[in-house]
Amino acid sequence: MKMTPLVLVLGGIIIISPVLLMNVLRPWAIWQTERPSDIFRARTPLEEKGREIYVNNGCTYCHTQYIRDFDWDIGAQRISKSGDYIAESPHLLGTERTGPDLSQEGGEHPDDWHLAHFVNPRFVRPDSVMPSWEFLGQENILALIAYKQSLGFKQADGRVERQKYWKSEAIKAFEAGPDKNVEWLHGHVPEPWTKLPNPYRTSVPGLDRGHRVYQSFCIGCHGPIGDGMGPAQPFLYPPPLNFTILQNRGITGGILYYQIMNGITGTAMPYFKKDLESEKIWDVGNYIAVTFIGETDAGQPTRGIDVSYEPVEDKK
Amino acid sequence: MKVEENGTAKLFFLSSAFWFVLGTLEGIADATDMVVPDLFGGISWLVFSRIRPMHTTTMIFGFVGSALLGASIYIIAAVLRTPLWSERLGKVSLWIWNISIAVGLIALDLGYSQGREYAEWIWPADIGILLAFALIFYNCFQTAVKRNEKIMYVSSWYILAGLVFTWIIYFFGNAVWNPEKGAIYGLPDGILAWFYGHGIVGLFLTPLAVAVAYYIVPRVARSPLYSHKLSLVGFWSILIIYTHIGSHHILQTPIPTYLKVIAISGSIAMIIPVMTVLVNLWLTMRGRLGLFHQDIGGKFVMAGLVWYIITCIQGPIQALPVVQRMTHLNNWVIAHSHLGVFGFSGTIALGGLYYILPRITGRPLYSTRLADVQYWLLLLGMAGFFGVLTAGGLVQGNSWLNGETVYRTLPMIHVYFVLRASIGVLFVGAAFIGLYNIIRSIVGEPATESQEFETEQAIGLTQ
Repeated sequence: MKMTPLVLVLGGIIIISPVLLMNVLRPWAIWQTERPSDIFRARTPLEEKGREIYVNNGCTYCHTQYIRDFDWDIGAQRISKSGDYIAESPHLLGTERTGPDLSQEGGEHPDDWHLAHFVNPRFVRPDSVMPSWEFLGQENILALIAYKQSLGFKQADGRVERQKYWKSEAIKAFEAGPDKNVEWLHGHVPEPWTKLPNPYRTSVPGLDRGHRVYQSFCIGCHGPIGDGMGPAQPFLYPPPLNFTILQNRGITGGILYYQIMNGITGTAMPYFKKDLESEKIWDVGNYIAVTFIGETDAGQPTRGIDVSYEPVEDKK
Repeated sequence: MKVEENGTAKLFFLSSAFWFVLGTLEGIADATDMVVPDLFGGISWLVFSRIRPMHTTTMIFGFVGSALLGASIYIIAAVLRTPLWSERLGKVSLWIWNISIAVGLIALDLGYSQGREYAEWIWPADIGILLAFALIFYNCFQTAVKRNEKIMYVSSWYILAGLVFTWIIYFFGNAVWNPEKGAIYGLPDGILAWFYGHGIVGLFLTPLAVAVAYYIVPRVARSPLYSHKLSLVGFWSILIIYTHIGSHHILQTPIPTYLKVIAISGSIAMIIPVMTVLVNLWLTMRGRLGLFHQDIGGKFVMAGLVWYIITCIQGPIQALPVVQRMTHLNNWVIAHSHLGVFGFSGTIALGGLYYILPRITGRPLYSTRLADVQYWLLLLGMAGFFGVLTAGGLVQGNSWLNGETVYRTLPMIHVYFVLRASIGVLFVGAAFIGLYNIIRSIVGEPATESQEFETEQAIGLTQ
């Protein structure tokens, strides 16, 4: 085959034409007939502004916006559909998950949690490597928060409503004073959990493990001495719980476990059931009980048959 | 404007050396940010996610792109035995090229981005890049039309086709008819963006790097190319296959199934163009490896070809859906992209630079030893990056697949982030050494008569 400039240019055009047809024109034609998915809704101007900030500042390099059928992390309740993306321009699918996927982020947290998180992510997530966004200024951060709360469209709207309802309830309870607040907090824990003691005995290794978990998950809001004065505190209302007020107010290992597992929707307290498995929740619960509350029911006689790893006690 | 023979190529090399320094500084800033996220304490123009696209585009267009364009402009004139059609036009395109890169980068740093990977630059920069590509193509095309050598050597095919294809995918990929967003709507925008994103590596960096390798390998080996037929197969098959496979970047999204099928089967078929090129070049250099160790340019090209085969064995494997379940979205892919852009095309671009520069200036490099030091720093650095990022990626991928959250994996990969930042120091050092060496080589003292003899010996004119 003799190669000449003409052969090269013509050959190139012959090859690129079907390529453009398959990879540019046909997808575009398919999109023309695409219907919005069940959750889709248009974004408000403020949410659009937030999206622009998201695009311009490159949030997409660490956060994807699609859920796969084998994902476990936040948003995993709904696998992405092509109709979710109908209004996306530019697309923000992303290629890396240094941070979590955000396609169903809306309503996962209340606005005040997001504010603390944007000012410095480590205020609420101590192990985070996300940059601080304080330099964007209050107005831009509020737009970004509006955008994040819209991720997941109608599903997100429902979650945001739920956050708002429970926030007003939580604020009422907080403002009614410690007694009422603790009563309200314990009152929403299902019956069996409120009576359940921590089934594992207190041990030094167990407290050390709890301490480790506390540092990665709790310290930003509840603070190093558990008084609720962590660096995120100034941003949050109702403020993070001061654990000492739980003393003599009927706290049990089961209540601590349930609140850590489920979080308290409406407040900045997230659920940790995706991050932490059973042992870590019991351990951090007992660490809080022993160190900050000063009373623990860990390993009380009603605990049942000892789990096999537990040290054997001397028979007196 | 001063016009001298091969002046355009020389200045492209100088630009490349400069962008390499900037690109590695951006890289180390970001690598450090992942280790100490509060280090830059909210300085807007040093924030991770603004530097990240600057790093990738500086490296792709600034460093590797400039060096490959410089080498291509020299090579097309050399293999067609015809001076470049217009050095003046060449210099105009060089300045448009560099100014466009600078505009794109500064805009990104100030927080103006179009948000799609490698297509982040704002519209004016896109137009400048397209104009530069068009001018360079026109210049090379006219050189080819007015050539003195009847037979067009394989390097010139890759250069001309690479420039045409790059222009087309850059035009469509950046959606330049939509200046404000540089994007279309919905999932097709993702498809278009990855058609472009993959194409910019596959149809800009790869053909030009292969052109450089096709030029330098037979010359360093002092042996004719092994097979003309193989080079034809390699050339046409890369154009047919590489253009289709961009969707393997978004295989796990709800894009049309036919695109997934094309992307996966095409990715596997990439073995054909890659292996034909490599077999052709390796059989050309068979029994002559010693010559490559003696020639600093040949040495870089040889290393680049080794990275090429590793990249191109890894690529088809990681395009498989079952593999992607573990490798996608984590640092495994980052390892692969460093391997492709730096290991393969960047190393070959440096090889082209070090081989060609002495032939332009007519005197040896300022220091072959410094270039050798750079070679080893980059070789160790690349191997380190590949190992560390692949390992970190597997930790992430395994953890996610087995139910850990993204947040929980951050402490697990911290050590890999620390290692990456440490290895990054080798790259920064190498880039500075390269810039110094290249500046001294270009603006050195004019050679005396005895030095000229040494020059001729060094570049092999006097055997």
